[in-house]
Parts: sequence; structure tokens; C-alpha cells
Amino acid sequence: MLSWSSNKSGSPADIDAIAESERDAGVPHGAELIAFTDAVAGVAEEALVKARQALVACAGETFMIDAAAVVANFEMMTRVADGTGARFSEEGADHRAAISEKLHISGFTSAR
Amino acid sequence: MIVRDDLVEAHRLSLAHVASPGARLTAARRVQIAKVAHDAYLAVEPSPPWVRPFDDPALDVAYRLARHAGTITEQWYEQIITEGMHPLDWVEIVGVVIATIPPVAFARAAGVTVPGLPAPIAGEPTGREATELAPAKLNWVPVAAPADKVASVVQALSALPDEWDNLWRLAGAQYMSDRQMDDPLWNRGTLSRPQMELVAARLSLIRECFF
Repeated sequence: MLSWSSNKSGSPADIDAIAESERDAGVPHGAELIAFTDAVAGVAEEALVKARQALVACAGETFMIDAAAVVANFEMMTRVADGTGARFSEEGADHRAAISEKLHISGFTSAR
Repeated sequence: MIVRDDLVEAHRLSLAHVASPGARLTAARRVQIAKVAHDAYLAVEPSPPWVRPFDDPALDVAYRLARHAGTITEQWYEQIITEGMHPLDWVEIVGVVIATIPPVAFARAAGVTVPGLPAPIAGEPTGREATELAPAKLNWVPVAAPADKVASVVQALSALPDEWDNLWRLAGAQYMSDRQMDDPLWNRGTLSRPQMELVAARLSLIRECFF
């Protein structure tokens, strides 16, 4: 979806950056969004406060709130997929295999 | 801090849904399951995934799904079903967990007060299930017939329409509706679509969700 939407927007994202917290994926405020997402997924409250403040400073409070909503959505969707054994259909398997290889995720327990 | 009304309402309705009688479980049991998910999600030092902390299959499933979802295997699902859990109970537990976590995750992320759980509403389970169920190739769990005509995440909770409805109401407020998803440039005027997808991809990677 990142690849598709960024290509359509005219600024192809750097997909490799998804797996590397030091980069911004070529997306505006990408580094701050990655840091914020990492902090929400972690347990350190201090890191979360810092990441939230950094995101608000560069993009504003409304932007941070919507980013928090997207994080919450994928805390939900990942559990829907993992809790029901969701698999991909065979359609588009080659494209997904290429992305899995790029991100080194084929070894995940959840790979089905 | 001002949070969009539609998001506030979707989260309120989701927690009210948790505290209402489900298709197969009473509201009291659903709130018990939700409490496990709520606490597991926020735990600073959680038990490892192979530990079943509750000696109660429903609560153990809720715990693992809330905290270690990426470690759940088909083998473990089959084991729990073999121990006696009905597959639709499993689906309802998934529905309760995924109804509970988003309001909690959002509040923690945004730095607002993490909501508690409402008191359970009295009443018997509703028995509301899909008219016809079918085994799926794209999911472990049974789904509404006909199976595998839509994406696996879309049919995942279709066996229990109330859980399905709550899931997609939340998705519409937190992310976007399925209609908006077809437009690669759709956004709310805050995050662009690539920014939303970057967050989605990064969170999925951290949670080791292959899907």
C-alpha cells in the first residue's frame, strides 16, 4: 500500500526504510512518524513522550492525533490477521514475495 | 487536545460493544476477556508468549492475542479448539480483544487518559451468527458463506456480524473506509496516504505481522 500510494502521489517511497528506524522513507516527516510508531509499540513512556512532542513540533497536534489513530488501527488489524490466521490469496503472490524478501519478514511466525 | 468527534464516538461505541452481550458470550465474560487484553497490552513486563497465565483458555487466548499476536500459530489454534473451545468462541474473543485495544492504544499514543472498561450489561448472549458458515482457505476460523470471495482480513470476523460491524466502524474512523481505500491519494488533510501507509507498515513490521 505504501508503494502503491506513494507511486500514485508522484514521490515513490523508499520501502527498505520500513525496516530501518534511522531513515524517513522519502516521506515528509517520515523519520518522526517512524520514531512515534516505534515508541507507541514500545513500553518506555519517556521515549513515547519525546517522540510525540517531536511529531507535534514538526507537523502539529492534529497530525499527531491522526497518526495515533492509524497506529491504533494497525494494532487492531495485525491482531485480526494473526488471530484468525489470515493468509494472502495466490493473486499477487510474486509481488508480495519480493516485498517479503526486501523486508526480511519471511521468517516471521505469522508468515503463512 | 481536540480529538475528532467520529474517532471519539467509534472508540466509545467499541467499548460499549465490549460490555454488551455477544453472540455466544455474556457481557460479564466479554468484559473479563477485555480486562485481560487491556492489561496485557499495557504491561511493562509481560509473560512470555508460551506461558498461559490464566488456566482459562479464553483468557489465555485474549492474553496472547493482546500481547504476542505475531506468535500465534495454526497449531496453537487447533490445540485450543481440541481442548474444547468452540471456533466461534475463538472468533468472539478476537472480536472483543480487537474492540478493546484500539481505544487504549490510541489514548496512550496521543497522551490522553486511557479509558477504562464499562460495566457489563445484563442479558443472555444474542446468538447472532452468520446465516451460513463455511470453512475458509484464507483463514483458520470459520467465516460467513461463501468463503474466500473477499480478502482474508475482510472475511475474518464475518461469522459474527456484530464483531465484524464494530471492526469496520473502527477502521473507518481510525484509518479509512474500504471505499476510501481504493483511492491512493485519499486523506483527511493531515497525514497523506503514503504517511498513513508508512505508519501501518512500520507497526506491522514491529508486531511481526507478516500479513
